Amino acid sequence: MSSLAGTATLLRQSVRDRPAILVSIVAVIAATLCGMALVVGIGVSVPKALAAFADGAWGSPYAVAASINRALALALVGLGFVIAQRANLTNVGGEGQIAVGGIAATAVALYGGASALPVPLSFGVPMLAAVVAGGIWGAIAGVLKAKAGTNEVISTLLLSFVAVWILYGSVQSEALLRQPMTNTATLPESLEIPDPTKLPLLSANADTPLHVGLLIALAIALVTAIALERSVWGLRLRAIGLNPVAARRAGMRIAPAIVLVLFLAGALGGLAGAFMLQGDQGSLKARFSSGYGFDGLVVGLLARGSVPGVLAAAALFGFLRSGGINMELEAGVPSAVVLVIQGLIILMLAGTAFWIDSRKEGTR
Amino acid sequence: MTDEMAAVFVGSSLRLGMPLMLAATGELVSERAGVLNMSVEGMMLTGAFGGAIGAWATGSPMLGLAIGLVAVLPVALLQAWLSITLRANQIVTGIGINILVLGGTTVAYREILGRHNRTEIPGLARWSPPGLGDIAVWGDAVFRQTWLLYAGLVLVVLAAWVLRDTAVGLAVRAVGSEPRAVDKSGLSVTRVRYGAVVFTGLMSALAGCFLSIGDIHTFTEGMTNGAGYLALAAVIFGNWKIGRTVLACLFFGAATALQFQLPAMGVNVPTALLIMLPYLMALVAVGGLVGRQTAPSYLTRAYVR
Repeated sequence: MSSLAGTATLLRQSVRDRPAILVSIVAVIAATLCGMALVVGIGVSVPKALAAFADGAWGSPYAVAASINRALALALVGLGFVIAQRANLTNVGGEGQIAVGGIAATAVALYGGASALPVPLSFGVPMLAAVVAGGIWGAIAGVLKAKAGTNEVISTLLLSFVAVWILYGSVQSEALLRQPMTNTATLPESLEIPDPTKLPLLSANADTPLHVGLLIALAIALVTAIALERSVWGLRLRAIGLNPVAARRAGMRIAPAIVLVLFLAGALGGLAGAFMLQGDQGSLKARFSSGYGFDGLVVGLLARGSVPGVLAAAALFGFLRSGGINMELEAGVPSAVVLVIQGLIILMLAGTAFWIDSRKEGTR
Repeated sequence: MTDEMAAVFVGSSLRLGMPLMLAATGELVSERAGVLNMSVEGMMLTGAFGGAIGAWATGSPMLGLAIGLVAVLPVALLQAWLSITLRANQIVTGIGINILVLGGTTVAYREILGRHNRTEIPGLARWSPPGLGDIAVWGDAVFRQTWLLYAGLVLVVLAAWVLRDTAVGLAVRAVGSEPRAVDKSGLSVTRVRYGAVVFTGLMSALAGCFLSIGDIHTFTEGMTNGAGYLALAAVIFGNWKIGRTVLACLFFGAATALQFQLPAMGVNVPTALLIMLPYLMALVAVGGLVGRQTAPSYLTRAYVR
């Protein structure tokens, strides 16, 4: 009987959510069409641009793996966004959380002796350092919110800028992370991290550089989904998000919850930084975070609070980014076209959010 | 520090602080009316782009300035429509607009002028107040500036006066603190807010033009590079008061000027630290460490009748 009632609730829920899913799909398609119109306007043939796009996004096993690796970092930031969103908090600090994660992972991998550790620890310890660093960066915004009522959007954004410049400074200075300057051509970036600290690949074939981060990210997504949808903790977060005053009257402690939630969001951002360093870039550069934080934010928005939604949106953006890069290389279409598409998606989703929410209330 | 260096420092602090001052004053008016425009960055970039392309195409920097001001209107109206009429999340729409404008101007600039074009674009004339420009050492370095700098100062003072002492200013402030009362009095909350956002757009476009055709006479992709966010930070640091906001902008300008000045003086301070300083200060300010922050009570909240 209860399973029947459960199924009925689930069904009702999916019907209620349908306008949101529908709007997301329509937004993505409409924005892509605008992007194509732009390609036409530039005077590149659409088939040529699309071929270059497809080639870069999924044209070879290597391309697929690279796209998925990109998607992983975006998914982590998106998951953090969704967790915070559950408590009605908006984390726009992904960019900075990635940056501090990258700094911490680099420092531990290069100078923390991580490479001497046995195998899972050799790459696990730098990852952990990134998680802690990102978490602290997020928690600062949580503490400010809990103690001084500071709007977390403003504080996470400001913290992002600070982190990005700390990153810049740390790869400029030899006293920090910059590689020793042997000649004047030495680039302002860190040394390459030792091999044992890089994320191991899933297949022995180096043509498909899928790394172990895929499994970690999927496990985190699963845990997040269970925690948000099936645990008392998730229910509490929702209560705090919907009505903090009522939640406090019901005996919930708001301040620690806010700090914890933003710690988790930041920690996932930091882990994304570790993935990007240890699974992809190999050394820390000034433009290390390169917009992944903002892309991750969009992924979180597109998902509208659902964990499977995060995975879908992250995959979409991972492939979009890879394809966009190749479109610039092969077809001469500026990858800025992808920015236009992203901007349009955000605006369409933001513009329809109120309409969707009011519909939800109507059907309840 | 020699006299000459001091003069250059003061002059460049003014020059670097001015675009922030214009954009921050515009944004302050809108925030007092309850609308937060994260899109200041995008509006500045639109203005910089429109001004540069306009000046290049017509050969006249004045026409360029006008084109920059017109170009920002659709962007400002989009922000207003989304956040006021559709009641969309103001922060999210602002970030969306910034990404859209960055992509759009980059594509358009490459289409029109080519990727690594360094064409010199006709810029706004320089001017110095009579008498002041002839002072030895200081005159040239401090007072000989784009005329837009002086016009901008006048605009900021005007905006402060309108906001404080006129009926329009009262309406703007009331819409941000007591929208329901304004609505009951028969004035349209929506109209006042639209007006405030458009004002932010125009001021941001001026700031953008100051960068492209006032200061460096060229356009580069994403040339605002976070200046819009600095303007937002200045408003927060200024505690939503024009005087303090303007001082914050000057201070941010000085911090930027120091990046070039300190190495010349042989002082070795990491550049990153100086660039970071304004953001750090704004963070300290929003953290409530320098006095109580009194944001307009309806900031970021849509008005539902």
